[in-house]
Amino acid sequence: MIGAQLTGNLMQGLILGGIYGMATMGLSLIFGVLKVVNVGHGAFIMIGAFITLWIFTAFGLAPVIAIPVALIVGMAIGFVFFYLVMRRLIKAPELASLLATFAIGILLEEIAKLIFGSEFRGYNWAAGKIILPITVFPMSKIYAFIGSIAIALLLYIWFKKTRAGTAVRSVVEDSEGARVCGVNVGWVYALSFAIGIGLTVTSGVLLTMFIPVGINPYMGGGYTLKAFVIAVLGGLTSPYGAFFGGLIFGLIENGSYTLFALIPGVEAFAMTRFLSFLILLLILLIKPTGLLGAK
Amino acid sequence: MKGKIVKYYPLIPVYIAYLILFLIGINVSGMWQLVAMLAFYCAIGQAFNIFLGMTGYVDFGYVAFMGVGTYGMALSISHLHQVQWLGMGIIIIGLLLALVMASLLSIAVGAVALRLRGAYFAIATIGVNEGFRFLIEGAKIWGGSEGIIFSGQLTQTFGRETASLLSTLWADIFLFFIACIAAFITIYYMRGKIGYALTALREDEDAAKVMGINVTKYKIIAFITSASLAGLVGASAWALKLTYVFPPQVFEIHYTVECIIIVLLGGAGTLLGPVVGGLVYGLTKYWLTVIVPGFQLLIFAPIIIVIIVAFPEGIVGVLKRRFKGTTFKKFII
Repeated sequence: MIGAQLTGNLMQGLILGGIYGMATMGLSLIFGVLKVVNVGHGAFIMIGAFITLWIFTAFGLAPVIAIPVALIVGMAIGFVFFYLVMRRLIKAPELASLLATFAIGILLEEIAKLIFGSEFRGYNWAAGKIILPITVFPMSKIYAFIGSIAIALLLYIWFKKTRAGTAVRSVVEDSEGARVCGVNVGWVYALSFAIGIGLTVTSGVLLTMFIPVGINPYMGGGYTLKAFVIAVLGGLTSPYGAFFGGLIFGLIENGSYTLFALIPGVEAFAMTRFLSFLILLLILLIKPTGLLGAK
Repeated sequence: MKGKIVKYYPLIPVYIAYLILFLIGINVSGMWQLVAMLAFYCAIGQAFNIFLGMTGYVDFGYVAFMGVGTYGMALSISHLHQVQWLGMGIIIIGLLLALVMASLLSIAVGAVALRLRGAYFAIATIGVNEGFRFLIEGAKIWGGSEGIIFSGQLTQTFGRETASLLSTLWADIFLFFIACIAAFITIYYMRGKIGYALTALREDEDAAKVMGINVTKYKIIAFITSASLAGLVGASAWALKLTYVFPPQVFEIHYTVECIIIVLLGGAGTLLGPVVGGLVYGLTKYWLTVIVPGFQLLIFAPIIIVIIVAFPEGIVGVLKRRFKGTTFKKFII
C-alpha cells in the first residue's frame, strides 16, 4: 500500500522537479557568469505567475501563451536592472550584490502588491487529466513539465550551437581569458543576466499550474530557498546541473514527505524542508561542484 | 600607559551618542519606544559588524543566533519559574543560557561553514538558519511550530508591575549595555593582533595565509563573539520584550537583511558605522512608517539600491575620507 503511494508521489515529484529545475536554471546561469547570487530570485518567479494570471483572466488565453510574453518581459526587466544596478556591482564584494538583489526582490514584491493587492488569487485551467491506478495527473501539470523540458533543451542548444552561447560558456570558464580572446564580456554579462531573469520569470508561468492555493506578491520567498538547494545540488554554476538538481530535489521532496508522514510525532512538511537544507550543507561541504559536477 | 588609553579615544563619540540617546529616551515622554528601537538596531549592528565588517564574510543566517538566544531566555523562564528562591536569577540564567546556546551554535556553524568563502558561505548560512528553524518545527523541539509563550510565568514570578517594567524598560536598557560592550570589543579587536589579522584576511585571504596568519582562528573568534552578542540581543529585545518565541518570527531572514543594511549604511568594519547606520536606518524606517504607512518598503528598497551603488563604503567611510588629516580623524574610525 505504502509502496504504491510512494511510487505515485515520486512520479508527482519528478513532474514537479522538472519545473523546479527550470525555475533554478536562471539562478545558476547568473551565478555562473556574474558570480552574483540572486537573492531576489523568488520575486521574479512571482512576476511570471502574475503575468499568467493576467493573461488568463483578462484575455481567457491558455497559460501556455504566457510563456513567450513572460520570457520577453523577464528579459526586458533583466536588461533594465543590469544596466541600472548590477553592472556596477560585478567587481564589488558579495555584500553589495547580495543586498542589492535582495532589495530588487523587495521592490518587485512591493510594486506587485501596489498593483494586485496582497490577497491570494488563483485561477483554474481545466485541461483534463490522466488517471493512473496509483495517482492522477492533471493535464496542465503535464503541459508544464513538457514546457520546462522544451525550454531546458532550447537553452542547451543555444549554449552549444550558437556564437553567443559559446561566448557565454567561455566567460563562465574564465572571464579574463574570454576578454583576451575578443569576447565582449560586458555584453555577455548583460545578456546572461537578462536570459537568467527571463528564464526565472518564465518558470513562474509553469509554476502557477502547481499552486492550488493561488498566488500573491510574497509567494517567492520559499522558491528562493528551494532554488538555492537545487542550484547547489547542480553545482551552482551550471544551468543544466540545476535542471537535473531540480528533478532530484522533486523526488527527494515528495519521497521524504511520504516517509516522514509515517513517523508519529513529527511534522512531515517541516522535516522535509529540514532535510533539504541538510542536503544543501552536506553538498557544499563534501562536493561543492554539485552532484553531477566534475572534479 | 597613555598610548593604551589613546587607543580607546574613538569610543568617546560612540558612548556620547548612546548617552544622548538614552537621556532623550528617559526624559522626553513618549520617546522611549523609539529610543528602544534605535538601541536595538545599534546593538545588533554593532554586534554584526564584529564579524561582517571585520572579515567581509556575509553571514546571511545571522538571525539564527538571535533566535537561539531568544529560546535560551524563553527556556529559562518557562522551566525555572517555579523555583522560588532563584528570583531575578532566572533572568540571569536566561542570559547565560542565551550566550552559551548562541556560542555553541556558532562554533558548530563556524567549524563547518567557515571553510567556505564568498557566495558559498552566504548560501550555507541561509541553509543553517532555515534548517534549524524547520528542525525545531518538524521534530517539535521546544514547543515546535507553536513556540513558547511565557508571559504568564513572567507575571506569576515577578508580579505584574515588575514583569512589565522588565519588558518595557530593563530589556531596552540592557540593549544599550550590549551595544556599549560590542563597541568596546570592536575597538579592542581593531587595535589588537586580531584586527590586523582580519584586515589582512579581508583584503586577501590567500596572501594572509601565506604570510603565516592563522586565518581560521581569527575568523572563528570574530564569528563566535558576534554570535554570542546576537544571542544576548535576542534574549532581551525579543524574549523579554515580547514574552513569547515563535520559530517563523525569530528565524525570519528579513532581520538578517536589516542587520546587513545597518552595517553597510554606516560603513562596514568601522567602529562608528553601526551607530550611525542604526540611527539612520531606524529613524528612516520610523519616519517612513509614519508618513507613508504600508508603503515604506516600496520607498526603502530603491534607497538601499542607490546607497549600495553610490556609497559602497557607507556614511562613516565617506566621513573618514572627508576628515582625513584633521584633528577629528582619530575619533572617526
